[in-house]
Amino acid sequence: MTFVEFKETIVIAIDAMKGNKLRSLLASLGVVIGISTVILMGWVLTGLQTAMDETFRMIGVDILYIDKWDWAGGKNWKLVRQRKDITFEQADIMMERLNNAELIFPTARDWGGSIKYENLIFNGITIIGTTSNHGLTSAGETIEGRYFTPFEESIHSKVVVLGHKVYTTIFPDGNALNQTIKINGHKFLVIGVIRKQGTMFFDFIDNQVFIPVGSFVGMYGRHNRSISIGIKAGSEEMLDEVREEARGIMRSIRNVDPKDEDDFSINETKAFENQVATLKLYVWGIGIGMTVLSFIVGIIGIMNIMFVSVTERTKEIGIRMAIGAKRRSILFQFIVESSTLCFTGAIISLIICSGITFAVATILPKFVEEAGFLTPFLPFQLLVIASIVSIFVGVLSGIIPAIRASKLNPIDALRFE
Amino acid sequence: MNDKKLIIDIENISKLYRMGVETVYALRDITLQIHENEYVAIMGPSGSGKSTLMNILGCLDTPSGGKYLFGGEDVSVMDDDDLADIRNRKIGFVFQTFNLLARATAIKNVELPLVYSGRPSGQRHETAKQALIDVGLEDRITHKPNELSGGQRQRVAIARALVTNPSIILADEPTGNLDSKTGEEIITLFRDLWHKGNTIILVTHEEEIARHANRIIRLRDGLIERDEINQQSNLN
Ligand SMILES: Nc1ncnc2c1ncn2[C@@H]1O[C@H](COP(=O)(O)OP(=O)(O)OP(=O)(O)O)[C@@H](O)[C@H]1O
Ligand SMILES: [Mg+2]
Repeated sequence: MTFVEFKETIVIAIDAMKGNKLRSLLASLGVVIGISTVILMGWVLTGLQTAMDETFRMIGVDILYIDKWDWAGGKNWKLVRQRKDITFEQADIMMERLNNAELIFPTARDWGGSIKYENLIFNGITIIGTTSNHGLTSAGETIEGRYFTPFEESIHSKVVVLGHKVYTTIFPDGNALNQTIKINGHKFLVIGVIRKQGTMFFDFIDNQVFIPVGSFVGMYGRHNRSISIGIKAGSEEMLDEVREEARGIMRSIRNVDPKDEDDFSINETKAFENQVATLKLYVWGIGIGMTVLSFIVGIIGIMNIMFVSVTERTKEIGIRMAIGAKRRSILFQFIVESSTLCFTGAIISLIICSGITFAVATILPKFVEEAGFLTPFLPFQLLVIASIVSIFVGVLSGIIPAIRASKLNPIDALRFE
Repeated sequence: MNDKKLIIDIENISKLYRMGVETVYALRDITLQIHENEYVAIMGPSGSGKSTLMNILGCLDTPSGGKYLFGGEDVSVMDDDDLADIRNRKIGFVFQTFNLLARATAIKNVELPLVYSGRPSGQRHETAKQALIDVGLEDRITHKPNELSGGQRQRVAIARALVTNPSIILADEPTGNLDSKTGEEIITLFRDLWHKGNTIILVTHEEEIARHANRIIRLRDGLIERDEINQQSNLN
């Protein structure tokens, strides 16, 4: 097979397809559906993955939280409830002993705080008391104003840094800085706004405000809740080492018997990854099932059309053979034809899917905020995958008809009417 | 008689078809030699085996028995690819029913043999165009077969047969589907080709056409009945 012949064969294939547009279109319908499924599924999953990676990165992939509660929720709930609280004193000892960590910040939370601004009341906001160290982590990055300083922390200043969602809810017009809000009746001065962290169903993490831990204790008291100890390992590589060190210290502080399990949990963003992985598995499972089904339909459809095409063009095959086409040229011609058919199907799918993704990604988030993770374009690798898959399907569905065509006897083929 | 190069050399060729219990002998025992620049007419009643012989000579079909040397090479031992190659480069076949690709233009039809011999497209176009000029169709290059008359279609087919500059041109009743005037034009074209040095074998029913050849082979029931030099050939 020469390059000249290869090029010419593709031209022939495209010509043959043009000669029977409607039939070609119908034939590629199954492939269009199959490829579209793959593309749309990939698009959603890629969006999901990006959104999650982004959220985790913002929270900080190198941050651990020592908590009474387990984020992943795998532990026996009753046992977890019976655990002793984690206290500020334990956090202080941790700060003294832990060597490998970059930052440590005790974090006390009130999950159901209320904020009043002018005459409006906002409930269900998480009030977090922490130290200025938290402002040094990625989770404490401000987009407006600043985090509170060690000095403000030491004098128990009544200043507050708003989470992004709180900011957009209370101050839809912006201009939050230097406004006074009331947290549980106490006046606080807004000094900063945290960058948006959560995407999709993670955006609860933006529904919170940060105040100096001393101010928090002033309002809520010191010993009526379990706090969590935030630890920034410094890098993902340090995570294991820091986790082990922190675990050892925590066990010794809380006098855990060597035989017993930890009576606390060390939480990190990784805890969510398993849940996300399960979710992805379901999506892929359904998607792959649908894809396989539509590809089977597609392959059968195209194979059928190719059989019809071979029969209809028996005479043409005879002519080509009579003037010197080798069997493999004929074989190749029909495989190229079915591949071209499928590839065209893939291109149609790409056009349709581009339209769908653009429309969905621009319109849907206006109604469903959670859909904000969808990108208005298709990831490049999906285009490559779709093209390769379509050609593969083309070869698969064309091979048997093509073999039949190439096995024809020139003289019999010529005689065919 | 012949110091010219031997092109076709067949010995005791037979072809039989089994139809259920019956066996049809299309060719029984044909021995034949054809040299360069001969112009041979094959005649005979319908069913006498003319097309069968032509198809075997043209390497489109294989004989049931006998020996076939084409240009000194043994065709009976060749595989399908070698046969395709011979058809492509050494043989130009002209059919009664033209056998052009309906969707392709005249020039694309003529280019086709060159595609299968791997010639680059620029060169291909030039060669094909020249072949069309040679058969007098320079103003019909981009016409499709259904936009051409029967005679013009046959000219395209002849151009296609000529384009690879083959050793021999085989024509099975090339005027069979044409009116007598157009047929005559085609026959004139063959005569010109012969004058230019081509070797031609032509099947015909008409004595009038056979008269042009310098050798006439008559078949009957799959056998050569007569093989004679045409003394009054009006070629010379
Ligand atoms: N594929 C085939 N199967 C069975 N018999 C065949 C086949 N092809 C040809 N024959 C028989 O072989 C014999 C010779 O046929 P052929 O086509 O060579 O005749 P012909 O001389 O070309 O006749 P015509 O002048 O009508 O074209 C005929 O009896 C025909 O019936
Ligand atoms: Mg015949």
